Amino acid sequence: MADDASSSSACAGNSVDNSINQDELIMKQQREIEKEISETIPLVGDLEALSTLEKEYNEDPIYLLKVKDLSAKYKNIRRTRPDGNCFFRAFSYAYLEHLLTDKNEYDKFYEIAKNSKEILVALGFPQFTVEDFYETFMEVIQRVGEQAGGSLEELGSIREELHDKFNKQGYSDYIVVYLRLITSGQLQTQHDFYQNFIEGSRTVTEFCRQEVEPMYKESDHIHIIALSNALNVGVRVRYMDRGEGSQVIAHDFPEGAKPLVHLLYRPGHYDILYA
Amino acid sequence: MAEKYNTKCPGVKRLMREAIELAEATEEYCARPLEDNLFEWHFTVRGPRGTDFEDGIYHGRILLPKEYPMHPPHIILLTPNGRFEVNKKICLSISGHHPETWQPSWSIRTALLALIAFMPTPAEGTIGSLDYSPAERKILAKKSSNWVCPQCGQTAELLSSTAAKPLTEEEQTVLNQIAFKGEEEQAQKPLGEPIFEPQNIQYTQQVLESSDSATSFLDQLTEILVALLIGAIGIFIYRRWNALADSEL
Repeated sequence: MADDASSSSACAGNSVDNSINQDELIMKQQREIEKEISETIPLVGDLEALSTLEKEYNEDPIYLLKVKDLSAKYKNIRRTRPDGNCFFRAFSYAYLEHLLTDKNEYDKFYEIAKNSKEILVALGFPQFTVEDFYETFMEVIQRVGEQAGGSLEELGSIREELHDKFNKQGYSDYIVVYLRLITSGQLQTQHDFYQNFIEGSRTVTEFCRQEVEPMYKESDHIHIIALSNALNVGVRVRYMDRGEGSQVIAHDFPEGAKPLVHLLYRPGHYDILYA
Repeated sequence: MAEKYNTKCPGVKRLMREAIELAEATEEYCARPLEDNLFEWHFTVRGPRGTDFEDGIYHGRILLPKEYPMHPPHIILLTPNGRFEVNKKICLSISGHHPETWQPSWSIRTALLALIAFMPTPAEGTIGSLDYSPAERKILAKKSSNWVCPQCGQTAELLSSTAAKPLTEEEQTVLNQIAFKGEEEQAQKPLGEPIFEPQNIQYTQQVLESSDSATSFLDQLTEILVALLIGAIGIFIYRRWNALADSEL
């Protein structure tokens, strides 16, 4: 999802070969096209009826069966921009929305969030910048806390405010960065456990630097396991792919936890589901 | 400047914080935003001790993308130094050419420290790199203190005598990581592409780099000579042809 001019191989190209430059130009163009498409989609969209999914797959019997199954379990969907950050964005939006109506859960989460900065700084993350992300993150959390459990009217206006913040690139990305840092922190604190999930010879720290902390890097199981564990929040992911059967398989993170956030996964992308 | 930007915007808030953090010049580096543009900074760094650059004071621009700190800053060196091309966005794993490895938790200070640490590393023909000889680099380093920036003035006077904040362990880790990346790339090349002879690569590198230095004049001269030679041969053949045609008559 990197949208900059050259990829890493451009810098290694000392035996300048025109064919390589051509490939890179094509890749660059492709990335730009992807970026353009992606930017027409809001960071977090409005609530839509699940039937809008059916229209998307009118001529696809496999998916249509699965959408039917999904419709029996969920009423609405909220789409997120496919920019590689969708898991973090979808997760935080859905969870904060839930917290508005669950004061106990909010208090529990607030404590975890409040202490998270110390953990990150102790792990060696640069204090100066971690603080910067933490402050913006906590600002949004506190706004949610002030209104949590309020009247219908109050909830309506804070929902709007939240939606607005999540669609402002600055705020929205700051929340994503901070969740990426928390995820990285969890992976590094429990590195013995998470090392088993990492294929190849990369260490947990290397994996974090390359796949977790940089923006636009897509999330895998390991990201979801780490974040749901770090925040102690149950996440149910519904997998919709070309696999056999007419059911959308559910996977809960951490295993056995009560899901508070429901996400729809289609290859490469996460959206939010509402029962 | 505060009134010109939306200070509620996290990116703006972040740059203002960085401006405060970097406000006081150190003996190793200093940087500050332009008076009228928070998204363009000028910086000055001292060449690392014990290297060809140690007498050098190098000045340049930092261009911040509007998505900063989500996207990396671009660095452009203005003072001739023999390691990086001037007036060109340079290629460090921390700079704009490698957005996928940039971390939003890094800062302008990190970028400057990385730049200093990276100066003595081999150029390896990367885009924007120069492979000048130690002697040439030393001459440029000596000359650099006279370099004047149209906006900032005599750049040698911008650094102070205050010692910079010592590197924390985390910063050292980040800087080591960047240096390590370079070595990794280098190590992979001979393994992955055994066809390339090291000398050939060396040769290509020199040809590439010469286009940027004074030798480009020689290249032009060669081209002119070749063109003249082809022209002369052409005339020669034409005259022979005519002579042949005449003799047939």
